[in-house]
Amino acid sequence: MFRRLLPWDYGVRNLFRRPSRSALTLGGLSIVVLLVLVVVGFIRGLEASLAATGNANVMLVYAISSGSDIENSAVPGRTPALLSASVAGVRQRHGVKYVSPELYLGTRMSIADGQQEGLGLVRGVTTTAPLVRQQVQIVEGNWPGPGEVLVGRLTHSKLGFEREALAVGQSLEFDGRKWTVSGVFAAGGAAYESEVWCPLADLQTTLKRQDLSLVAVAMETLDAAADVDLFCRERIDLELKAVSEVGYYADLQKHYKPVRMLGWVVVCLVAGSGVFAGLNTMYGAVVGRIRELATLQAIGYRRRAILLTLIQEATLLSCGGALVACALGLLFINGTAIRFTMGAFMLRVDSVGIAIACTTAIVLGVVGALPPAAKAMRLPVVEAIKAI
Amino acid sequence: MALVEVIAVSKEYQSGEEIIRPLDGVNLTIGEGEFVSLMGASGSGKSTLLNLVAGIDQVTSGRIEIAGTDITQLSRGKLADWRAAHVGYIFQTHNLIPVLTAYENVELPLMLLPMSAAERRNRVGIALAAVDLTNRADHYPRQMSGGQEQRVGIARAIVANPTIVVADEPTGSLDDNTTEQILTLLQRVNRELGMTLLMVTHDTDAASRATRQLRLERSELYENGTRLAPRALRTA
Repeated sequence: MFRRLLPWDYGVRNLFRRPSRSALTLGGLSIVVLLVLVVVGFIRGLEASLAATGNANVMLVYAISSGSDIENSAVPGRTPALLSASVAGVRQRHGVKYVSPELYLGTRMSIADGQQEGLGLVRGVTTTAPLVRQQVQIVEGNWPGPGEVLVGRLTHSKLGFEREALAVGQSLEFDGRKWTVSGVFAAGGAAYESEVWCPLADLQTTLKRQDLSLVAVAMETLDAAADVDLFCRERIDLELKAVSEVGYYADLQKHYKPVRMLGWVVVCLVAGSGVFAGLNTMYGAVVGRIRELATLQAIGYRRRAILLTLIQEATLLSCGGALVACALGLLFINGTAIRFTMGAFMLRVDSVGIAIACTTAIVLGVVGALPPAAKAMRLPVVEAIKAI
Repeated sequence: MALVEVIAVSKEYQSGEEIIRPLDGVNLTIGEGEFVSLMGASGSGKSTLLNLVAGIDQVTSGRIEIAGTDITQLSRGKLADWRAAHVGYIFQTHNLIPVLTAYENVELPLMLLPMSAAERRNRVGIALAAVDLTNRADHYPRQMSGGQEQRVGIARAIVANPTIVVADEPTGSLDDNTTEQILTLLQRVNRELGMTLLMVTHDTDAASRATRQLRLERSELYENGTRLAPRALRTA
């Protein structure tokens, strides 16, 4: 069968027959595939951010009256102590229980004496916070002392500042107080990466609050996590509820489902426009070669072989576009920070995104080549051979 | 011995409301090694007859047997395979593939046949030598003159050693000097390689180079002014 196919070189050289048209098509297809890559990168980044944040063994305890919005939650300040004393199975090491009392709120933050400001998320924490949120790693500087903050590596994106504005030693102002950046932390893509962490006591003093927003508790086992839920149900006087961190962020993901759906719709629309671009190019390429294709048939090449050659040409071009798009994506798109209500996340050009982009390119090539090729093949050879 | 037998062949096609019938019960026999020229007025059906013999068009009725194969019974795919092995087609406008060199154009029909790369190289070399274009093997069609292109076209038509070579006005787009070269070459192909040729032409000088000169008029074939005897359609 392979002996009856047209030489590979024939398809390749045809791409260079009209270099400007091929280059324009390559550019168009690259843009289409790049757009697909950006949208897939957006969806993947958003999903990864929310997925990376959850830990099945960590339970979040917050006020039952706050619904699913931890910012509105207020739990008594004694809750961490009660939890530690009442619930068995709380993880501990060297006598320190993995219970993290936290005060969490969204607030307006500014730098350079108010010349630049943005809406940020601040979390008052104690030194047990990194024990519970184990993805957290200080990548630069130190744990914050009084009047200091630790910023996530995406905090600047969330606030809309330059990265340098939140470098170690810089100041940040919120809730009427100036804070000095003591360090930068990473959290493996989790939503915390766009937060500002400061000492809980300092934040409570600044806000004149004694309560907490939530208590995060790391349990030894999944079964033990159920004990936290039981504690909340039994202590109805505290009006608490407990959800696993995984469950909390899975619930949040549901809110972003329409965004993800919209993203996939955009992928389909962009790919659809790419098909039309491919069709246009291939119609042009085939119409100019009607006589040549008929000559190949007269020589003895079957229509199938000629069809495959035309698909080869279109697919080579679209795969070239995919290569260009993936290279641009990896160089310029991957890691770009995007702000959203929960914080910020990075666009991810990963293996899944690249696979989707390449598949889209191949589909564009095949679907773009078929109708014009089929049209050319339908023409009787004796008529086509006289075509100008 | 008859190599080509065209038996009661009719061809009709629709042009708007009108049905055109360029061939109506045409009979023709071509022996092995003959060089047959076919003349006729425009629209007389000579190119249609040539295309039917070459297997690139379908008869409306009748039968065409070439080397014992009734090509009117072959499916489209089988007919393509048959063309690859049995027909060499010389076009008026050369019809070379512009992105392939002279060598690659000549090699193209051989890619369809079961043979080694070494055998292909050998055959292409012989075909290019036969048309005296060995030194142009690496040239693209745009780098050659019209006459050279037609010689490559002839090399492509003969390289697979086909049962029959058909030529549709092979000198129609060439100047006098080049025409002479091409006709001499076709004569050599017939005499020295023993190939059977069917050539359609408007040019009486070109037609006179053939061993048999036929004229198609109103679906009747004449040879040296005498109408060829019609034959009844045999049942297979």
